[in-house]
Amino acid sequence: MTMTLEKVKGGMSAVVKQIHGGHRIRQKLGGLGIHVDDSLKVLRTGFLGGPVLIEVHGTQVGIGHGMAEKVEVEVREKA
Amino acid sequence: MRIALVGQPNCGKSALFNSVAGYKTIVSNFPGTTVDFVTSRVNLNGDGFTLVDLPGIYSLSTSEKEEMVARGYLISERPDLVINIMDASVISRSLELTMELLELKIPLVICLNMMDEAAKKGVEIDVGHLSQDLGVPVVPTIANRGRGVPELFQTALETARSGKTGKIHSLSLDVERAISELADVFGAPTAAKLGVPRRFLAIKLLEEDDEFQRAVREINPNILGDVRRLRRVLSECHGRPSDVVVSSERHSLAVNLFEHVAKVKPRTAKPFRDQADRYLMHPYWGYVFLAGILFCFFWVVFSFGKHIEEPILALFQQFEAYLVAHLGSQSLWFTVANGLIQGFSGGIGIVLPYLIPFLLGLSLLEDIGYLPRAAFLMDSIMHSIGLHGKSIIPFVLSYGCNVPAIMGVRIMERARDRFITAVLVTLIPCAARTTVIFALVAFYLGPLRALLLYLLNLVVIAGAGKILSRFMPDVSPGMILEMPSYKLPRVSTVMRKIWFRLREFVVIAWPILIAGSVILSLLEYFQLAERINGILSIFTTGLLGLPSAVGITLIFGILRKELAIIMLVQALGTSHFSSVMTEEQMMVFTVFSLFYIPCLATLGMLRSTIGNRGMLFTLFFNTAIGTLMALVTRAFYWVF
Repeated sequence: MTMTLEKVKGGMSAVVKQIHGGHRIRQKLGGLGIHVDDSLKVLRTGFLGGPVLIEVHGTQVGIGHGMAEKVEVEVREKA
Repeated sequence: MRIALVGQPNCGKSALFNSVAGYKTIVSNFPGTTVDFVTSRVNLNGDGFTLVDLPGIYSLSTSEKEEMVARGYLISERPDLVINIMDASVISRSLELTMELLELKIPLVICLNMMDEAAKKGVEIDVGHLSQDLGVPVVPTIANRGRGVPELFQTALETARSGKTGKIHSLSLDVERAISELADVFGAPTAAKLGVPRRFLAIKLLEEDDEFQRAVREINPNILGDVRRLRRVLSECHGRPSDVVVSSERHSLAVNLFEHVAKVKPRTAKPFRDQADRYLMHPYWGYVFLAGILFCFFWVVFSFGKHIEEPILALFQQFEAYLVAHLGSQSLWFTVANGLIQGFSGGIGIVLPYLIPFLLGLSLLEDIGYLPRAAFLMDSIMHSIGLHGKSIIPFVLSYGCNVPAIMGVRIMERARDRFITAVLVTLIPCAARTTVIFALVAFYLGPLRALLLYLLNLVVIAGAGKILSRFMPDVSPGMILEMPSYKLPRVSTVMRKIWFRLREFVVIAWPILIAGSVILSLLEYFQLAERINGILSIFTTGLLGLPSAVGITLIFGILRKELAIIMLVQALGTSHFSSVMTEEQMMVFTVFSLFYIPCLATLGMLRSTIGNRGMLFTLFFNTAIGTLMALVTRAFYWVF
C-alpha cells in the first residue's frame, strides 16, 4: 500500500517509492541517507502536524511534517 | 601545508580538531554546531601544518549555505590533504560523501571515528579491506578519548607528502558514458577554470548542481544544450530524474562497499537510546519530560545561585561600610572605590553564581544529545510561529546569553529563518536580564510573578514571530534533523566549553561593567546623572511612571543588561528596592528592561549576522515592544 511518509503508523517498515518536489529536497534527503528504493522504519508518526521520526541505514532522522508529505512510500509490514 | 577536516555533521570532527588544536571551536552533540570554519596551527613531532575545521556536510551535492562554505573551500583553496572523518557506526551513509571527495582528486585519509560506538552497535569493520577498496589509508580512532589521533596525523602527513589520491569508482555503464561524453564536450579548460577535475564537473552538471550550472553558463554557455540532452537521455533510460540516477548509483556503490567491509552482528540487548527515547520522545510523555527537564534546570540554577549570591553581597556591603568609615561618603576617592566595588561585586555576586551553573547545565544537555530531541519535539510548536524545530537551539541558548544564540542562528539554512530567529532570540531574557527579574521581581514580589513574566515573554515572542512571519512568509518544505545517540559527556569537554563561554563574560563584559560602574559613580558625584535623568524623565516618569532616577540605569542597561540592576542600586542608593519603589514600578521597570534595546554585544553580533538594517530594525522593534508591554503592565495595575 502506498502513502506519504507522515501517514505511516509508528513501528511500520516501508520502502521509499518516490520523492516529490525539486532536486533540492532530494539532495537534502539523500544527504541523510534517504533515497528512492531505500527501506526505512517509522519510529514515531507525525501526528498533529509534528515531525516524523524514522530509522534509516542505522541512524535516526527527524523529518518535518511538510517534508514527510513529499515522500511517497510503500508500507511493507509491521516490524 | 594545509589539512582540511571534512565529515558529516556529528561525526566527532570538532572533537578531533580540538584534541590537537587547543580549544578553538565548540563541540557538541548537535548536528551543525560548527558554523564558519576555524583554522589552527598544529605542531606534531616537529612537523607544522595548518588544520582547517570545515562545517559538517552531508554531501557535495548541495544548495545549503553551510555546506557550500565547505565545498567552496575544498575547490577554491584546494588543501594539501583532506581527512575524511566518519562515524564508524553509520559508514554506509558516510561513504557516499567519501565517493564524492575521491572525485575531487585531493589526497585523502579516512579517519574511522567512534569505533567504540560502532562496536556497541555491533558493527565490525575490516579496516584493511576498506583501505584497499578506496585506495586510501584508513585510521581507526576514538577522537574524544584521543585514541588513534597521533597515528592519524602521522598517516595524514605521509599521504600529503606522497600526494597519492584514491580510487575512483565507476558508476554503471550508461552513466559513465554520459559522464565521459559531457567531459569531452566541455574539455579541460572549462573544468580548470572552475578548479575541479573534469569528471567531477560532469557529474555535478548531470546532478543539476545550481552553482556549477551558473558558473558554466558564465564561462561556456554553449555546452548547456548538451548538458540538458544528456540529462534527458539518463532520465528516459532510468525513468527518474538524472540527479536521482547519479545519487542512487553513488548510494548503491556505498552500500555495496559497506557490505563488503562491514559485518553487523544482531544486537542482543536493547540499546539504551531506544529505552530512553521511548519516554523522552514519546508523543505525550516527551513533552512532560521536556518541561520537567527545563524546569529542574532553571530551578537548580537559581536556587544554587541565590545561596551563593547573598553571602557574597553581604561581604561586599561590609567592605563598603568599612570604606565609608575610612574615606568618608562624600569624597571623590570613595566615589571611585565604591564604583569599582559595585562593578566587581556585580560580576562576582550576581552573575557568576548564576552563569556557571547555567552554562554547566546547558553544556550537559548539549553533550548528552538532548537538544536535537528538544528540537524534534518542538518542531510543530515552532512551526506555529513560522519557524522550524531547529530554531529551538538558539532559543534555548538565548536564556544563557543572546550573543552565542545569535551565533547559533547560522545553523539555519535560509536567510529568512536566520533573520526571524535572530530578532526573536534578542527578546528572550538572557542570564543578565534574568538577574534583573530575579533581583527585582522574584526577590521582592515572589517567584510566581517571575514565572508570569516568563510566560508573558513567551506570548510576546510568539506574537512577534507571527508578525514577522506574516511579512516574510515561509516557503520551505521543513526541517530534517539527525538524532545522534546519547553520549556520556566528557568532563574535560564540558569544562572547556564552560570556560570558553565564561571567558567571553570575564574578558569582555566584566571590565565594561566595572568601568561603567565607576563612570556612573562619577556622574553621580558631579551630579550629571540628574541631568540625564531629567532629559529621560518625559519617558521614564511621564509615560512609564517610574522614579526619574532609573533613566540613567536604562542607559547603562544598553551597555550590559545586568548593569540595569547594578546601577539601580547605585541610582536609588539602596539595594532594598521595595523601600523606594512600588510593586507596580518594579514590574514596569522589569518588563521594560526585559524587552528594550538589546545590549551592545548583542547588537554587534546582530550586525554581523543579519546586517546593519537588521540590527537597526531589531533595536526599534524591541524598544517598541518594551514600551508597549510596559504600558500594558501599567494599565493592568491601574485596572486591578
